[in-house]
Amino acid sequence: MLDPAITVVSLEKSFPPALTGWRAFLQPFASPTSPALRGVSFEVKQGESVALLGTNGAGKTTLLRILATLLLPSRGSASVAGFDPVLHPAAVRRQLGYHAGSDLGFYARLTGRENLRFFGRLNHLSDAFLRERILALAEQFELSGELDRQVRTLSSGTVQRLSLIRSLLHQPKVLLLDEPTRSLDAIAAADFRRFLKFEVLGRQGTSLLFASHTLNEIEFLADRVLILNEGSLVAFDSPDKLKSKASAVSLEEAFSRLTGHGVHTLEPSSS
Amino acid sequence: MTRLLGDFLFFFRRDLRIASTYRSPFILEIVEALFGAATLYYVARFVDSPQLRQALPQGNSYFAFSLVGFVFFDYLHAALNTFDQSLVEARDTGTLEPLLVTQVSLPTILIGSAIYPFVITTLRIGIYLAWGALLFGFPFRSADWLSVLVVLMAALLAFSGLGIFSSAYLLLFKRGNPSKWLILGISSVVGGVLFPVDILPDWLQFIARLNPVTYALAAMRAALLDGAAIPSIARPLLALLLFTAVLLPGSMLAFSWALRRTKITGTLSHR
Repeated sequence: MLDPAITVVSLEKSFPPALTGWRAFLQPFASPTSPALRGVSFEVKQGESVALLGTNGAGKTTLLRILATLLLPSRGSASVAGFDPVLHPAAVRRQLGYHAGSDLGFYARLTGRENLRFFGRLNHLSDAFLRERILALAEQFELSGELDRQVRTLSSGTVQRLSLIRSLLHQPKVLLLDEPTRSLDAIAAADFRRFLKFEVLGRQGTSLLFASHTLNEIEFLADRVLILNEGSLVAFDSPDKLKSKASAVSLEEAFSRLTGHGVHTLEPSSS
Repeated sequence: MTRLLGDFLFFFRRDLRIASTYRSPFILEIVEALFGAATLYYVARFVDSPQLRQALPQGNSYFAFSLVGFVFFDYLHAALNTFDQSLVEARDTGTLEPLLVTQVSLPTILIGSAIYPFVITTLRIGIYLAWGALLFGFPFRSADWLSVLVVLMAALLAFSGLGIFSSAYLLLFKRGNPSKWLILGISSVVGGVLFPVDILPDWLQFIARLNPVTYALAAMRAALLDGAAIPSIARPLLALLLFTAVLLPGSMLAFSWALRRTKITGTLSHR
């Protein structure tokens, strides 16, 4: 049996409250008392695609950032491609592609290609490999014509696609995406979902953990859905099983019944 | 080691490429250096006297003394600013997190990002001295260039420790940096920048002996104005190496601790 791509065991994370007045000076030393994740445990199998679903503040981004080695958990443990993000962060990063869902994160005065080459070189990819890989990915993301323009002249959707290419450059075994289609137009989002499903998941066998508010994206991409509510895991199953568990006809309804939240708290345009 | 040097080179190339997209700053720096050198020359003409020359360590003109002090104080300034600025820039442009999920560590990112500013500061120092020599009779010919280079490297290492301490502070407290202003303030009074430290009261001379700037300037003036070979400046050089041995690992430890703390508090990319 294959080892899981991601294992999370009793993971907890708390943040310190924001201090004000003169106490703000002590902020860096404040004790973490506000829980963001409460004892979350799950596994993502190799080649599997798992969606994180929850309202804002449910703990989706915190979970992804812990796995991406950008945050330290308060308690519990995790493993990404067999490595612990706390004990072996460099080994985790070698296996990991991370896209924070933001259209920031590039050097505005450099071109798209120069940015991708820079980040690729920091992942210790050779120049020759990068040249080919950037071309191939740019073609798939329909970015070939934009690669040699300075990033400051690109639209936010284009920058987001560039960011997705960056997360895929080193052919990661595990891909963590935080709202990957947030700034993409409907056509680009649909293209990207197809690319993820058939190329990244289907052909390359990459494991995917992604947070999304877009329910049709989740139904299209996810083998299983992990529902988080105020930091706790509420349910973890395939979209169909979640629907039948909640006696619901749609994922929206299942989410609403399982968490007690109305669908409007998830995203107005998600239907 | 080769890989680390390669990583540093990618950062240098990135900054060089970004700088090349801006045309005017370098020309303005050349002009600014001319005004700076001219100001010091006329101040020196105003205050110079045989008694003053006798009081100066190398018995040179006050212009030569003050120009060396002024331009190498710039070096300290650069060391204290460079690490901070690279961190602030990465944080504000959103590139900090994408950099942190690559294969390179944050200290590598920090040091890599400091190389270009240090090279530019060294160039700026060269321009100041060149204007001084071309127009105002700065005694360039007596310099021992090997000693100058060694002092420059030793000063850079010692000052970098101070700069990394300063960025650890910034990582924790996000804004303002009393330690930086304290170091610059103390150094401008007791570093021997514009007057020799011998004229200070005993207790200030004691503080001056605890300041790496004092040793860097004493060694640099001896190498540049007196043509002192390395054995003749062994004492200030050893003092600088001692400062480096304490400050560099100490600042790296402080920085690692600050980084770990921000990963606990979740404030790594906060402003």
